[in-house]
Amino acid sequence: MAAQLRLSALAAAQYRVGFWTEGVLAVFWSLVGIVPLWVAIDHRGAVVGWGPWELMVLTGCFAALSSVFGAFLQPALIESMNHIRRGTLDHVLLRPADSLLLCLVAAFSPWRLLELVFGLVLIALSLARLGVTPELASVGVALGMGLASVACLYGLGILTLCLSFRAMQLQNLTYLFEALLDFSRWPIGVFRGLLKALFTFVIPLAVMTTYPAAALIGRADVTTLASALLTGAALLVVARLCWQVAVRGYTSASS
Amino acid sequence: MAEPAVQVEGLGKRFEVAERGAGLRAALRALVHRRVRVVEAVRELSFALAPGERVGLLGPNGAGKTTTLKILAGLLYPSRGQVRVAGFTPHLRKYEFLRSISLVMGHKRQLSWDLPAVDTFELNRVIYDIDASAYRRRLDDFVERLGLASIMFKPVRQLSLGERMKCELVAALLHEPSILFLDEPTLGMDVSMQLAIRAFVREYNEERGATIVLTSHYMQDVSALCPRILVINDGALRFDGTIEALTRTIRPLRRVSVRAESFPEDAALADWGRVIERAGDRLVLDVEPERVPEVVSRLVGLPDSRELLVREAPLEEVLRELFARPDDADEARP
Repeated sequence: MAAQLRLSALAAAQYRVGFWTEGVLAVFWSLVGIVPLWVAIDHRGAVVGWGPWELMVLTGCFAALSSVFGAFLQPALIESMNHIRRGTLDHVLLRPADSLLLCLVAAFSPWRLLELVFGLVLIALSLARLGVTPELASVGVALGMGLASVACLYGLGILTLCLSFRAMQLQNLTYLFEALLDFSRWPIGVFRGLLKALFTFVIPLAVMTTYPAAALIGRADVTTLASALLTGAALLVVARLCWQVAVRGYTSASS
Repeated sequence: MAEPAVQVEGLGKRFEVAERGAGLRAALRALVHRRVRVVEAVRELSFALAPGERVGLLGPNGAGKTTTLKILAGLLYPSRGQVRVAGFTPHLRKYEFLRSISLVMGHKRQLSWDLPAVDTFELNRVIYDIDASAYRRRLDDFVERLGLASIMFKPVRQLSLGERMKCELVAALLHEPSILFLDEPTLGMDVSMQLAIRAFVREYNEERGATIVLTSHYMQDVSALCPRILVINDGALRFDGTIEALTRTIRPLRRVSVRAESFPEDAALADWGRVIERAGDRLVLDVEPERVPEVVSRLVGLPDSRELLVREAPLEEVLRELFARPDDADEARP
């Protein structure tokens, strides 16, 4: 997996102009991402019990997750979907390594990691403004929540990839995925009715950003952590089973 | 007796293929109601290959050659039948199985398009867990034999088709597979590149004792490399044996060509054999095997007779005739 990731990183750095353009764009989008925050802080109103700087922590968590998605998962999904459509997944399946893991590191956009730095800095600044110094236990719970968050993200990503075995040209699904992920900028409490059900049971946005942020500001307990980890693990298991079924039905492409 | 390198019994593979008519109306209708047809890509295939054999898999387009290769390589699940390759069931894709085989496809590449080939070689070194010194030794050997030293560090997209295929072969062979599947490896290449690749594959087979299964539309590839051929048509085996045996079964006539100042009239030539070509100073005849000595002596006696050549019918023609026969014609059955 590390070797494939290294190759993907080499491919990302192969073209100088493209590489630096990506960098400039990444900085630009990270700065643009701050604008709504200034608006929120300016109003200083609480959103479903989350104060402005608590929302900032949530935004930091969102930026970190979005960074993982943009740097690792999204490019890998697009590349792997192209492999499936063109039949070049053959060469991935022929390698004596876990084909799913190879697919999940098939491509890499390093500049999107800037958002991770941005998110971590935002979390640190916001916690400082809140006067919160997370205890070791809270940091542990937050890290566990982060793990569950990434597990959910990858579980959903793998399920999307499995879909592309049956229906070609689903690259746009990854953009829909990104748009849905955007809802996790907000605490799960803001959603009502169908949207709440959707973002709790189908796309567990609460696990992905709300819980990690809550853990950092000392609002989550071990029970919440256990449920988050269970959700992440369950999604990964389901995704892995779907992958096995999908590969079994792989038809390659004609010569 | 050694276990066969490849053992196939009653193999079948069916696909569901979506179809639609031409035009916008059919395209719109297909968005709502999709018509699906079941295609039997492979019907009933049984054969066994001994370790170290070089075997050509021949057949027209859509005969089921590539599907068979992909099943043998573990990429496709068979719909029925039993397959064993290197002692493994391919579609389970066990680690040791994948380490013992390689599949090279002329129309697909494993090399990373934007990077130099050496980066993909390094990836394979790690994935196949090749010892660093063995990797260096094999890579140096392959690079020297294929003359790749000057292109190793060029991005793959800047390589010619032939150079790229040479690099594909290196990537496929670095882990020294005991079974090598080659699907149209010389597709689109010029003659000198075809010769280089054939020579390399033959050396690999002879030095490592590897089993080679080759599909190619270039009959020269097959006749130069494969003492044994399996002919598949419409997903079923039509012939299993040597090229000579196939030729003598399907087209027993010998092809005799000669150049001379003048030839007898057509009516007289018809008595010698069937005239295939008569143009200027060149004459080509198909002659019964037992009449070859007699006809040759007559041709030698022609004025300014030269360049006399007796050979079997070209494989392309033999196959064309085989495929034109009904499936139940039993003279070509193994």
